[in-house]
Amino acid sequence: MNEATVLFFIIIIFSILVIYWVSITVSIIYRRRRTASLTQIELTFADIVSRYLYNDPKNPLTLPEITQTLRDVGIKEQNKNNIQYLIRLMIRTQRTILGSNFYKLQKLYAQIPPHGVSIKKISSWSWYRKARGIREIYEMNQSQYFDEIFKYRNDKNIYVRREAQIALVVFLGWESLRFLPYLKRNMTLWQQIKIVEKLYDHYPKPELKWLHRAYKTEKLFGKKLLMRIIRKYELHAETDFIINNLNHPDYEVRETAIYCIQTFAVSTPTMDYIKRLYDEIPNATQQGQLLNYIYENSDIDLDFYLKQLYGTNDDLKLSVAEILWNNGYKEKVQEFYYQQYPNAVLNVG
Amino acid sequence: MRKVLVIQEDIIILKILERLVELNDYECKAIRSLDALNIEDQQTNFDFIITDILFEGIAPLQFVAQVQEVLLHKNLLIVTNMGQDKIKKEIFALRGVTGFYAVPIDLDEIEAIIQAY
Repeated sequence: MNEATVLFFIIIIFSILVIYWVSITVSIIYRRRRTASLTQIELTFADIVSRYLYNDPKNPLTLPEITQTLRDVGIKEQNKNNIQYLIRLMIRTQRTILGSNFYKLQKLYAQIPPHGVSIKKISSWSWYRKARGIREIYEMNQSQYFDEIFKYRNDKNIYVRREAQIALVVFLGWESLRFLPYLKRNMTLWQQIKIVEKLYDHYPKPELKWLHRAYKTEKLFGKKLLMRIIRKYELHAETDFIINNLNHPDYEVRETAIYCIQTFAVSTPTMDYIKRLYDEIPNATQQGQLLNYIYENSDIDLDFYLKQLYGTNDDLKLSVAEILWNNGYKEKVQEFYYQQYPNAVLNVG
Repeated sequence: MRKVLVIQEDIIILKILERLVELNDYECKAIRSLDALNIEDQQTNFDFIITDILFEGIAPLQFVAQVQEVLLHKNLLIVTNMGQDKIKKEIFALRGVTGFYAVPIDLDEIEAIIQAY
């Protein structure tokens, strides 16, 4: 390797370093400017919202003034990132406030510049943009777009239909349950939980007439959703719906029923009914879960436990034996044990 | 003139509370952290302090205790994102806290309190 080659390599490496330094410098300058710009948007939006909610009669804030102020800080149609940032601020603010100011904000959001952006996203080919548009609309409570969103409730993309179904709940509340029997596609556990949480956040007072109508649904996910709603709202008078699904032929429906019933304590006749259903559950693990519930929520029913002790499943027998042993029926467990070995001789000493 | 100190890291809540207070004929000092206080503020006896409890580098309960110790005030209102029951109980156990409002908040309730004062 001669001197010229070494020099050539040094120049190459130095050039790469210079490119790195330049790109780092450009990146730092861009980040600083961008952060400053976003801070400016946030400050301006905070000022607008505060003045809009508490308008000073001596110095009233007008809509043209709001629009112009937002334009001045870069909220323009061609600047999509700024508009998206503003939408995030709007959603954040909407989530912060309740009462009369919530409705004032809703009115403001329908009038200021980005109001058409979210609805345009719904027409996009991309499922991601579509779902995001629906989410923005329901988060900002823009109920005027309800009809547009409604048609996506059975969309083939899980995220689009999930957001559309949550939007139904946000806009219609308990009444949205009337669409439950007509939903065509499956609803995942996560989706059910999101719907229950949204319903609870927006409509904490139950409207049982819609719940009763939804009981007619034959959809398995519908039954699971209804049971989760009953559990979340602690609707003691509606526990029959959960109990009647304890012996459902579908594994997951039974699983949800067993999970949900654990929130409630029931009367003695109802517990007797649950004990009868216990024998009809075709899965030993689920029987074990229900056995724990029965044990924790009722007095010791010796006949019931002895019947299980002399049953066929060894795991369940072990659980039952443990319950009886710990609750003053040691002799019953010993009796069961010895009757298994009638001819055994005890060898001691 | 009656005085209120608002301490909120979230600039939007800060501005809204500042505006609410000013329109109800209070003089308002709105800051995003305790660092922005000056000596004059520490000598002022505020009619209300409306503060968050979640700040970087200090536990919520410690923050409330510090505010109570450092700043003269007649009423202390907490407006925070940390609305868990456990936190609420612990805050009220400190004593001297006039009200606890978890986000989402109905600002009309806060307005009613400062109007009634």
